[in-house]
Amino acid sequence: MTPAGGHWPIIAGMAAITYALRAVPMIAPWGRIDARIEQRLRYLPPALFAALIVPSLLAPAGTLQGGVRLWAGFFGMAVGWRTRSIPVTILAGLGTFALLRWLGA
Amino acid sequence: MNDREGAGGFRDGFVQTLPLWTGVAPFGAAYALAARAAGLDAAETAGMSLLVYAGSAQFAAAALFAGGAGPLAILLTTFIVNARHILMSASLAPPLRRYSPLLRAGAAFVVVDESYAMSVRRVLAGSGPAYLVGSGVSLYVAWLSGTTAGIAVALGVAGLGPIGLDLVFPLSFFVLLIPYLNAPPALIAAVVAGGLGLGGRLLLPGPWYLLLAAIGGMLAGDAAASRGLVPRKRDAATE
Repeated sequence: MTPAGGHWPIIAGMAAITYALRAVPMIAPWGRIDARIEQRLRYLPPALFAALIVPSLLAPAGTLQGGVRLWAGFFGMAVGWRTRSIPVTILAGLGTFALLRWLGA
Repeated sequence: MNDREGAGGFRDGFVQTLPLWTGVAPFGAAYALAARAAGLDAAETAGMSLLVYAGSAQFAAAALFAGGAGPLAILLTTFIVNARHILMSASLAPPLRRYSPLLRAGAAFVVVDESYAMSVRRVLAGSGPAYLVGSGVSLYVAWLSGTTAGIAVALGVAGLGPIGLDLVFPLSFFVLLIPYLNAPPALIAAVVAGGLGLGGRLLLPGPWYLLLAAIGGMLAGDAAASRGLVPRKRDAATE
């Protein structure tokens, strides 16, 4: 899980990439980005979020997995739909997980 | 709107962004919990918030670290998650050209979703970078405070083992996804990406499913918009 030399080289790379993305258009002399690319990138956030959510909920270890974890996840998402609050949603999901485990499920 | 420049503008940006701390600080704490659960030590968890300062990308990196992904997948994911910052900076750049390159280089570090949303009207109206920088620094302090709090909590619960902490990822991203779902092309992008992501996770080796699903979903959403499923100008994803 922990690579040799720690995570620092990757963190430094992430920092360089992220700063470059923010700084290059700000300090470079050229004008606007290609309109076609700009159009496509608009659909990146919903696609990326869904790509992160579905596998980590249904197949966290690479095979389909149900049980307590999945039910807690669904309940947390229902609470998220109502509240739109990240901390409340996390509390609901983890709380349900702990409760079901405690009940012996 | 009081468009002050200089120290007054910085102060306005900082103070008027304080309400957003209620969202940003807990998100920082949740990131720290996820990063600690993924095996990063306390210094690495704090260092990433200090140096990278990008919530969704840091969350995604923690998930990839937890799954044992390699450096290339994590850096590529960082690029893809943060690619939108190019567009935000590009839209802020023209009215800031008359300021020094050093000032612009500093301001660029704090261009995040929330500071952009708070300041874009003022910047485009020609009132300079002070408000943007004040708002961005305010959010940076909130992000670091939240991260620090999350590290403190994680140190307290270290060793508790599997308590469902990995549910933090799908639950947080679900809340971030909700605002997009009422625009049909964005909904199509999410459904296609979710299906590709699950299929890729089950069938492909390694973490590449994430990039494949994100790009596939993005192109599907764009194709749906191009076919006129919804007028582009009224698309919530374009806000």
